[in-house]
Amino acid sequence: MSIHQPPDDWFQAPHGPERVWIGLALAWCLILFLMMPYWHFRGKQNSTGEAYRTTPAEFAERVNRFIDANKVGEENGVPLVEPAPGSDIYLAAQMWRWYPALKLKKDQTYRLHVSSLDVQHGFSLQPMNMNFQILPGYDHVLTVTPTQSGDYLIICNEFCGINHHLMTGRIRVEG
Amino acid sequence: MSDPKLVDRLERERDTEPGDHKMPGTVVLTALLLLCFVVYYFANWKALADVWHVR
Amino acid sequence: MTSLALPVGNFRTGEARTCDTTGLPVCLHAQRFIKLNAVCAVVALLVGAIGAILLGLTRWPAVHLLPADWYYRVLTLHGINMLIFWIIFLEIAILYFAGTTLLKTRLASTKLAWTSFLLMAVGAVLTNITILQGTADVMMTSYAPLQAHSNFYLGMILFAVGALLGVGNFFACVWIARRDKTYQGSMPLVAFGALAAAIIAVVAILHGAIALVPTWLWSLGLMDAPDAGWYRLLWWGIGHQSQQINVCAMVSTWYLLATLTVGAKPLNQLVCRSAFVLYVLFINIASAHHLLVDPGVSAGWKIWNTSYAMYLAVLASMIHGFTVPAAVEVAQRKKGHDRGLFGWLVKAPWANPGFSAFFLSLIIFGFIGGITGVTLGTQQINIIAHNTLRIPGHFHATVVGGTSLAFMGLCYYVVPLIFRREYAARALCRLQPYLFGIGIVLVSIGMSFAGSYGVPRRHWDVEFSGAPFAKGFDSGAHVMLGLMGIGAVLAFVGLLTFILLTVHAVFLGKRNEGRAMTAW
Ligand code: HEM
Ligand SMILES: [Cu+2]
Ligand SMILES: [Cu+2]
Repeated sequence: MSIHQPPDDWFQAPHGPERVWIGLALAWCLILFLMMPYWHFRGKQNSTGEAYRTTPAEFAERVNRFIDANKVGEENGVPLVEPAPGSDIYLAAQMWRWYPALKLKKDQTYRLHVSSLDVQHGFSLQPMNMNFQILPGYDHVLTVTPTQSGDYLIICNEFCGINHHLMTGRIRVEG
Repeated sequence: MSDPKLVDRLERERDTEPGDHKMPGTVVLTALLLLCFVVYYFANWKALADVWHVR
Repeated sequence: MTSLALPVGNFRTGEARTCDTTGLPVCLHAQRFIKLNAVCAVVALLVGAIGAILLGLTRWPAVHLLPADWYYRVLTLHGINMLIFWIIFLEIAILYFAGTTLLKTRLASTKLAWTSFLLMAVGAVLTNITILQGTADVMMTSYAPLQAHSNFYLGMILFAVGALLGVGNFFACVWIARRDKTYQGSMPLVAFGALAAAIIAVVAILHGAIALVPTWLWSLGLMDAPDAGWYRLLWWGIGHQSQQINVCAMVSTWYLLATLTVGAKPLNQLVCRSAFVLYVLFINIASAHHLLVDPGVSAGWKIWNTSYAMYLAVLASMIHGFTVPAAVEVAQRKKGHDRGLFGWLVKAPWANPGFSAFFLSLIIFGFIGGITGVTLGTQQINIIAHNTLRIPGHFHATVVGGTSLAFMGLCYYVVPLIFRREYAARALCRLQPYLFGIGIVLVSIGMSFAGSYGVPRRHWDVEFSGAPFAKGFDSGAHVMLGLMGIGAVLAFVGLLTFILLTVHAVFLGKRNEGRAMTAW
C-alpha cells in the first residue's frame, strides 16, 4: 500500500518484467558512465578545467602585453590580434566586452587563457555553440584547435549585469 | 473515480502472488522510453564530435 | 461525515478527525499548517505565473515585450518564486501531511510549526520586496561577485531556516510515532518517500547556509567577497539537492495519486523503497553537473561526481518510471480493463484532473525531463549545452511539467480532503492539466531546440543589436522561440486557471465534509 502500512513480508526480490527492467536500466547507466572516460581518452572535445590562480589586475596586464606584441589592426573599436600558432593567447571578459578580437589559423592549436576582470561571465562561441564558464580569479586555459574557418561571434551567456546581452566579441579563423 | 471505500477494500485485500501480475503495456512504454533515450543521447555525442577540438 | 469515535493513533480528544475517504486520522493542528503553507505556495505560484508570461513574451522575438532591466528583474522574480517559494511551501505542507496522517500521529510541536511558517513567510516577502525594488537583479543563483542588496540574502536565509524547522518538525513526528507505536512494522511508502526528501533537505539547507551566510555578511561589508568557484560549488549544493527533494516529493505524489485515483498499489515495496534510498545516497556532490565546464575542477572530479560511476540516482528514477505505470496497469487490469496492450490506459479516469495531472507529469518528466537531463549532465556534452536555453528547456520538463503538475493534481485532492471544500466549474478542472501540460511541453521543446542552435538562457536580445559584434541566430532558432512563446501562453492560461479554481474552491467552494470529488 502507498498510504497504509505494507504487509509484513514486503521484503521480497522483484520478479518478471520488473526485474528485467532493473537489469536493463542498470546496464544503460553503466554505459552512460563509461562513455565519459572513453571520450576523455579518445574524444577531441573535453573540458579538463585546467586553471591557474590569478587576479584581475595581473590578468589585465598579461592581456595588454599580449595585445601590444601581436596587434595587427582594429575592428569595431576592439584591437585585432594575430598570435603565432601554438602560442599562449589571452582573452579578457569584462562588463561588457570580450577583449581583444582574435585572428587564428585553422587546424592550429592555441592555449587560450580566459579570465574575468570583474564578475562571472559565460564564454559562448557562436554559431559553433561551445560554452565555458569564466570566473574572476581563475585563469581558465582552453587548449583549442579551430577546425573550421570563418567569422565567429563570442557572446556572454552568464548574466553579468544590465548590458549582459551587449557583451560580444570576435574570433576570426583563416586558412 | 475514487469511491470512498476503495482504500479500505484495498487494505483488506491480500496481495496475490506477484508472478500473476501482467504489465505488457508498461513494458512497451518503458522500452519506448529507453529507445528515445538512446537516440537522443548518441545524437548529442555526434553533435559534440562536430565542434572544434578542445581540451 | 466526521466520525465521533476517537481516531486511531495518539491523539487527545478533539485533536483529530477521521478522513472519510482514506480512513486515516487527520491531526487538526497539522491541518492548519497544511492549509497555511498551501495557501502561501499558491500565492507564490501566482507571482511566478505573472513573471512566466512576461518572460515567455519577452523571449519570443516577435513580441519582445519587456525592456531589458525589467526582463532581468522579472527573471529573478520568476525563478525564486517558482523554484523556491511555490515548491518548498508545498513540500512543507506535504511533510505535515505525511508526518502526521500517514503515521497516525499528532503534530509534534505547534510552536515550532508557527515559527517555521512565520520565518518562511517573512523571508519570502522580504526577498520579493527587495527584488521588486530593483536592488537584487542577480538571478536566483546570485553568483558572487555580482552583488544584491543584503536583504535579498537575508530573506533567503530566513526562508531556509524556516524550512529547516519545518523539516525538523517532521522528524519529530516520526520520532513520536515510533515512540507511541502508532504504526507497526514499516511506514507507508509515501511517508518513506517523504522521509527521503526530508533527509536530503537537511543536507541541502546546510549547503545553502554555508553559501549564503558569508555572502550576506559580504553584502553588509563585513567580509571579503566569496571565491567565485567555491560559491558555485556550495550554491549548487543546495540548488541541485533541492531538485532531488522535488523528485522525491513528486514520486511520492505519483504513488499517492495512483492510489487515490485508480487504487493502484506498488508491486514490490522493496524495489520502490530501495529506489528512494538510492536518491538519498547518490546525489551527494550533485552540484558537480553544474560545474562541468568550470575552471579549477578536473575532468576526473567532474566525471566521478556527476555519476558516482554508475548513475544510481538515474537508475532510481528509471525504476520509479517503471513501477508507477506498472502499478496503475495492474490495478486497472484487475478492474477488468484488460483489452490489448493499452486498454488499461485508454480506460483510465482521464476526466479526473488528479489522474490526468499525475500521468501527464509522469510522461513529461520521463520522456523529456529525464532524457534531456542525463544528456546535458554528461561531462563532455555539457560543452554544447551549458547556459544555453537547453537548460531551462530541461528543467521546465522536470520541475514544472513534472513536479508542479503532479502537485496540481495533488491539490485536486488536498482541497476536498483537507480544506473540505469542492472545486466548482468541473469542466474547467478537467481541462486544466491538459492545457498546462501541453503548454509546458511546447515551452520545453521550443527552449531545448532553440538552445541547440546556441541561443543563450538569461539573455534579453538574441539579435545583439547595438553590440560591437552582432550576428543573429538561424531562422530555425526563431521558429523554436516562437514555439516556446505559444507554449508559454497556453501554459500560462492553464496555470492561471488552476490558481483561480483553487483560490475559489478554498474560500468559496461548497463544503463537502472531507470527501474526495468522484463525479468528474
Ligand atoms: C506557465 C508556466 C511557465 C512558463 C511559461 C515559464 C517560462 C519561463 C521562461 C520564458 C523563462 C526564462 C528563460 C530565460 O530567458 O533564460 C523561465 C525561467 C525559469 N523558470 Fe519558468 N516558466 C513557467 C513555470 C515555471 C515553474 C512552475 C517553475 C518552477 C517550479 C519555473 C522555474 C523557472 C526557473 C528556475 C527559471 C530560471 C530562472 C533563471 O534563469 O534564473 N518556471 N521560465
Ligand atoms: Cu558577461
Ligand atoms: Cu553576461
